[in-house]
Amino acid sequence: MNFLAPWFLLGALAVAGPVVFHLIRRSVRERTAFSSVLFLRPVPPRATRRSKLEHILLLLLRCLALLLLALGFARPFFPKSEAPAAPAGPGHQTVLLIDTSASMRRAGLWPKALAVAGQYLDKAELGDRVAVLTFDQQVHPLVSFAEWLSWPLDQRAALTRQKLAAVSPTWSGTALGPALIEAAELFQEDKGEASSSRVVTLISDLQEGANLDGLQGHEWPKNVGVQVERIDPAKRGNAGLEILDPTRAALGDERQARVRIANARDSDRESFALAWDADQAKPAQIYLPPGQTRTFAAPPLPAGATTGALRLTGDTEDFDNTTWFAVPEAERVVVAYFGSESGNDPQQLRYYLERAFSDTGRRAVDVVSVASNSVFDSEMLNHAALAVVPARLTAEESAALKTWLAAGKTELRVMTNALTDTADVPMEATEAAGDYALLGDVDFTHPIFAPFTDPRFSDFSRIHFWKHRMVKFATNLPVRVLAKFDDGSPALAQISEGKGNLLVLAAGWNPADSQLALSTKFVPLMQTILDWSGGAAPARTQFQIGDSIPAPVAPGDTIRWTKPDGKTVEQAAGTPFTGTDVPGNYSAAVGNKTNRFAVNLPLDESRTAPMSPDDLGRLGVPLQSATRTPATVSAGTQRILARAELENRQKLWRWLIAGLLGVALVEILLGGWLARRVPSLEVTS
Amino acid sequence: MAVATSSNPTAQNRGYADPKVLMALRSLELRARVVVEGFWNGLHRSPYHGFSVEFTEYRQYSPGDDTRYLDWRLYARSDRYYLKKFEDETNLRCHLLVDQSRSMEYGSLTYTKSEYVRTLAATLAWFLHAQGDAVGLVTFDERVRDYLPPRHRKGHLRRLMMALERRAEGKATNVNEPLRRTAELARKRGLIVLLSDLLTPLDELERNLARLTSAGHEVVLMHALDPNELAFDFHQASLFQDMESRQDVYLDPENARADYQHRLTDHCRGAETICQKLGAEFHRVVTDRPLELALTDFLRGRARRNKLIRRRVPARTSK
Repeated sequence: MNFLAPWFLLGALAVAGPVVFHLIRRSVRERTAFSSVLFLRPVPPRATRRSKLEHILLLLLRCLALLLLALGFARPFFPKSEAPAAPAGPGHQTVLLIDTSASMRRAGLWPKALAVAGQYLDKAELGDRVAVLTFDQQVHPLVSFAEWLSWPLDQRAALTRQKLAAVSPTWSGTALGPALIEAAELFQEDKGEASSSRVVTLISDLQEGANLDGLQGHEWPKNVGVQVERIDPAKRGNAGLEILDPTRAALGDERQARVRIANARDSDRESFALAWDADQAKPAQIYLPPGQTRTFAAPPLPAGATTGALRLTGDTEDFDNTTWFAVPEAERVVVAYFGSESGNDPQQLRYYLERAFSDTGRRAVDVVSVASNSVFDSEMLNHAALAVVPARLTAEESAALKTWLAAGKTELRVMTNALTDTADVPMEATEAAGDYALLGDVDFTHPIFAPFTDPRFSDFSRIHFWKHRMVKFATNLPVRVLAKFDDGSPALAQISEGKGNLLVLAAGWNPADSQLALSTKFVPLMQTILDWSGGAAPARTQFQIGDSIPAPVAPGDTIRWTKPDGKTVEQAAGTPFTGTDVPGNYSAAVGNKTNRFAVNLPLDESRTAPMSPDDLGRLGVPLQSATRTPATVSAGTQRILARAELENRQKLWRWLIAGLLGVALVEILLGGWLARRVPSLEVTS
Repeated sequence: MAVATSSNPTAQNRGYADPKVLMALRSLELRARVVVEGFWNGLHRSPYHGFSVEFTEYRQYSPGDDTRYLDWRLYARSDRYYLKKFEDETNLRCHLLVDQSRSMEYGSLTYTKSEYVRTLAATLAWFLHAQGDAVGLVTFDERVRDYLPPRHRKGHLRRLMMALERRAEGKATNVNEPLRRTAELARKRGLIVLLSDLLTPLDELERNLARLTSAGHEVVLMHALDPNELAFDFHQASLFQDMESRQDVYLDPENARADYQHRLTDHCRGAETICQKLGAEFHRVVTDRPLELALTDFLRGRARRNKLIRRRVPARTSK
């Protein structure tokens, strides 16, 4: 027999008490009232009787009661069945879904989350199957059911802990809804043996900024439950900030950033300061009550800076207090125009072209005539992103343009009535007969027409072409017809010229030829042609964690991306950069030109006030109550717990206490009987 | 009246009321009635003839007799003159002296000595009152507490019972004081009955009793003792505390018993000797005896004394 609390056996020494009391009792002088002591003389009892124990049976009962009490408190148990019992029936299936979003970076949250996860791992029994997923904006499998089963029984928890130790919170947002759905689907994918219960255990701070998309109306599998373990921070409240996209600002105002600040609902702060890292001297004072989100003007960026970090101070959590900013650079695009007409004549093409390319925050487009006064400016052509050719070319122009095209540029050749024959392109153009033509067939799969795919914008049939040219291309020419007139002749065709492209438009947009310039399709069409031709720099400079940054258009083969931590990545030109996992300023270097981008936390991560698990319940998530057992931390503790479990199963102390009660009852009855047995003569009034 | 009998062998055998059962009755008066009515025996005659309620005989009128006692009704019927004669029983004036010291509160039975003695006093009072005698009461401990002069009036017996109902509170026993006071108060000779446990030195008892007997009073001393006071049936060594003085004596009863009984016997014998010397009646009353027996002892003693007186009177007249 073993004892769970053997030190209580020392209590058995208390049996000395009754023995001593039974000896002492002899010398206790009881009083007996008597009518008169007139005839009594003091005669003390003989000393030899003093050491005699009285009421041996009573003494034994009292000693036995004390022994039983001490034995019961020592929690005895038989160690014979110490081996853990084999699981009865199928085990439980658990998916631990652990939040690694940026809000988990708050002080103390991640260790708590790991501790809670550890408790669930330790609780897993022999037949249980456990999978571990982490999630932020994406779900990342850490341990699958198959992997768990492949590990030795006694190492499963430890190996999973080891994997968890390598995980840390990221800077991403929280896509809680999709993660829950994906975790529940993990049970469907698992084709293992049956399980008695299937539970997704969500370990998260449940910040209210979490994305719950997809939960509403999601049909949950019937036998899957969700337990929520909310990790609460030691300190409540948080404020975060986000710089609004400056490319939407008017040209020239890019340096004046506007910032959106959110103060969490449970915050106890209302006043904050806002300042650039490089210029802390002049912070802007912000007043924002808890639970509100407002937009403020940031202090002006220090002169000469192209990037900056805007810092918010005055709240309790630091992880989201800095937002990075990259001043967008307006791209100046040159469109080379091979015509000599004035831009002020509304009957001519140029008039409409210049107005189609009006300046925006993204870029300023200059329509430049490269062949004015019969002088060809080849240098100007080299800077151009797009060439518009409405007139016959000279040999020099044609040769330069061919070279230019081969370098990967785009030419839009407009077949006006002045240009019915072309020498440099193997095609024939004849003036079409008839009243007018309409566009009959448009290839919306081509990037130029792709923005018009939506049925709201795809109606090109109302544009009247009063005059157009019927173009016939040489059969060996690589031609892709993008749009056709209703008479079947090509309206817009693409001919590949080396790396470049030649677009042939079979009618002009001047009012004499068509209504195209007057239609709503003209400006977007010209813009997409310019974009397609590579004339636009990446529009945005502000990105969020996880976004992919479009590669800047550049003639080089590779672009060198530099991350905020100094790491550089070489990527092929045209490949978007996807490694935006750290907030800060990124740069893309092409040749001697560097584009800068800022990557920031999503503002929703700053809305850290905790949701109630019931909010998930209202969205139809099948919640279960979370039950946890204290974590075991060492083998010694595990052994102690096993012994406690064994003792708890046997519960021998109950029998001992029952015996004690029986002995106590007998002792009371015997004591009472002995007290009554004292001669009634001694009882006085 | 039907009286329950009990385990007391004496009471069972002779049909007396068991003291235990009797003491269970709350009313002292009722207890007295039970005892007296169960034992209505031993009427005694008054030595004097008077004019009381109790008619005894007719006598032929002779000239010179007081005409107040002529029975005119008989004269109307028989045309003869007769005088009515009555027994005068009110001439016996009895004082009951009842000890109410705290030692009387001792009792090894279901009742105390005090309860027993008060019942006995009530019984005697009832009995004597029923015979037409005047009964008075003196209760005492270390001094006289209550004094009711002998009367034979309506309501007197009730007052006497109420005085007896009072519990013993005295801290000591002094029989001399009540004897002395009674000698002063009882000018007319009568009967003095002293009921006490006499647990006090007997130094002045003889002198005070002598004052009474010499004044012509008939004295009866009823010495009440608990059975355990006689047997001293204790077995465990302990502190024995005096109920009156609170004095403690530590002793082993087994060792002390013989000495105690010896000394108690000497004390009792001393009291008896004093009584004999003075011509007073001495009765030991053990509280487990039926009260009827105590009454019998009392009446027998009275009867003996009356015979003695009658024998003496002719002897004097013959001289």
